[in-house]
Amino acid sequence: MHPVVHALRDPAAVVSSSLPQWDALVRQARRTNLLPCVALALDERGLLPQVPPAPRVHLEAARTLARAQADAVRREVAYIDRALAASGIPIVLLKGAAYLIAGLRAARGRVFSDIDILVPRGALASVEAALMLRGWATGKTTAYDQRYYRRWMHELPPLRHISRQTWLDVHHAILPITARLKPDSAKLLAASLPVAGEPRLRVLAPVDMVLHSATHLFCNEDVGNSLRDLVDLDSLLREFASEEDFWPRLTVRARELDLTRPLYYALRYAVRILGTPIPAPVLHEAEIGRPPPLLRGLMDALFLQTLQPDRTTDRLASLARGSLYVRAHWLRMPPLLLAQHLTIKALRREEQKAG
Amino acid sequence: MIVAHLSHQELMHRLARPGLRLRTGPVVNRIQSRLAKVVHGVELHYADCTIEDSEGFADFHVRVAPPRSPRRWIAPQVQFQFDGAGPFLPLPASQAFAMLEWGLNWCVSSHCHQYLIVHAASVERSGFALLLPGHPGSGKSTLCAGLVSRGWRLLSDELTLLDLATGHVVPLPRPVSLKNASIDVIRRFSPGMEVGPPVHDTVKGSVAHMRPPTDSVRRATEAARPRWIVLPRYEAGAAASLTPLSRARAFMHLADHAFNYDVHGRQGFELLAQVIDSSDCFEFHYGALEHAVAVFDDIARRA
Amino acid sequence: MSSPSALRWRSVPPDAIVWREWDGEFVVRNERSGSTHQLAPLAGSVLQVLLEAGGALSVADIAARLGDHLAAAPEPDQYAAIDAVLSEFKRLGLVEPEAQ
Repeated sequence: MHPVVHALRDPAAVVSSSLPQWDALVRQARRTNLLPCVALALDERGLLPQVPPAPRVHLEAARTLARAQADAVRREVAYIDRALAASGIPIVLLKGAAYLIAGLRAARGRVFSDIDILVPRGALASVEAALMLRGWATGKTTAYDQRYYRRWMHELPPLRHISRQTWLDVHHAILPITARLKPDSAKLLAASLPVAGEPRLRVLAPVDMVLHSATHLFCNEDVGNSLRDLVDLDSLLREFASEEDFWPRLTVRARELDLTRPLYYALRYAVRILGTPIPAPVLHEAEIGRPPPLLRGLMDALFLQTLQPDRTTDRLASLARGSLYVRAHWLRMPPLLLAQHLTIKALRREEQKAG
Repeated sequence: MIVAHLSHQELMHRLARPGLRLRTGPVVNRIQSRLAKVVHGVELHYADCTIEDSEGFADFHVRVAPPRSPRRWIAPQVQFQFDGAGPFLPLPASQAFAMLEWGLNWCVSSHCHQYLIVHAASVERSGFALLLPGHPGSGKSTLCAGLVSRGWRLLSDELTLLDLATGHVVPLPRPVSLKNASIDVIRRFSPGMEVGPPVHDTVKGSVAHMRPPTDSVRRATEAARPRWIVLPRYEAGAAASLTPLSRARAFMHLADHAFNYDVHGRQGFELLAQVIDSSDCFEFHYGALEHAVAVFDDIARRA
Repeated sequence: MSSPSALRWRSVPPDAIVWREWDGEFVVRNERSGSTHQLAPLAGSVLQVLLEAGGALSVADIAARLGDHLAAAPEPDQYAAIDAVLSEFKRLGLVEPEAQ
């Protein structure tokens, strides 16, 4: 079993690991961006004092870093809130920032990178204007990138704040308009919920949060973070499981938003890898999103392989990663556009290496 | 067992295959490399370092190796790899040892948040630490190397680790990096110190490293209390002059020069305030190392 | 445009600030912004006055409470100096204005 998965599923057992085992665990946890998560899993069970000193300092350092990042995200969300307050546009926080502001367990031990918000498509221009007034500017500047982001993807180009150097992604949909799957953003916005103590901030409804996380995991480019994204999903599912009607509404909503395929994969791999407790009827309902057997076999090989510990000498793993990268793009963009985009991305990587 | 106890062959083999686990202060690095420059660099500069058990825990696993690309045959390059990932762009192969040093610094400054890490050289006398924060070109490494060859103990050349609980400097005695003219200055000033072969045409010009004194390595578990904070400025021909620096300014300088001040938030602020409270703060201009050493010996005597 | 004395100023809550003073100079960390600043004697004193006040103060209020921090400068100069400090504080997110 992947050492990080083992540590998250059974922190008490991991405490008595040998030093070489701790060595492997800390390295794998770093690679999968889950070191703070492992640290907190041990911390909240009061197990950190039992960890040998050598690995313990790394866990504590990771915990310190996660705390600092969470503070920084809170501050940044406050700045965004102030910048958009006058506009009256509803801002729905997504992913990590949402988990943090809504006080969800999925925020614990999280490594944050940028902040994502969802706004109505018609409001994009005024949101961009309000943000630029307060110091945000588009990072990517080539004409190609501008087109890629604005017309083909689902977001403004990533915005960077001039003085704070923080990144903000403004979305009007959770998947690009060119993608094969077309979840309706208006429905997501309509179902969004306010956050206690915050007059203007909102988050997605629980079922939508889960579906977004599932979509993000199985349709996105950043496959290096797959295990972390699955851990997010597992955390959300466990937290919402106790909410009334959550499970029946999840499968209904997946059909409504045309996201049955990502949900199928999400539940399948959450159960298999993290042992997420999911009621049998829900798994049965989710079968509606099942792919043809051959494709499912391929996806199993790809995902389960990717979620194995990373060995740099393992060529199969790196091939699998490559295929996932192509697949993620395919789901988001029609084949022709995809080929063009990938060629350009590959060229720019070479440019960067040479230049 | 220390590195000096290994034969050249044994050292080469260990570095090539399982990797060599070296202790430097509180940090254990597992270093892997087949490159001659790295082997020689480790043999010279880490001679006094303890070799840790391979069945133990290493803080950082690093490798210096040619990148997997066609360029490796045309213009040989090396890459620093941390846990299989390569956070740096490759450099010319001649810079392999320097690359190891920069990479090991990166590992500590990016991950060791159990400390507040200041970009400063630090040396010790009578249990007290002298901190020399400074931007590149301020001459802090030259000053550090000079003091270390005149009886001060080396705590660190680049990364001064501050213990969060006590505010004391935790030693990280590793090679002192010297640039350009400093290389010859130190060779002349400190003939008893070992300086490795210089590498030219790096982004910083010519770079060489001075081996940390055996005593500094052996006493790496002895922390020191911050006592003096000095902002050095080297100027050829300048007379040595030590002028008081306002504590508020010294505080801001430390905060600006800390790698992870923001990570520690309020606790970082309190820690630096505590360091400032217990320290005398100065700006220091100098043109000759002999004068500099005399000035610092003098303030150490008066401590 | 309201005259300076019509505006009142409120600092961020004291629990969001840590500060230290050495020889009249101050260093301040603002939890709200995450930033740390060095303040000259007058600025540091103005901040102290606002933190202690617990409510909003006008420039005149601040001048009165500063007392001998301001030395024997003519009133318009005092007010101008405090105004400049408050503008900077606003930019740094240390204070917010409140209109009467």
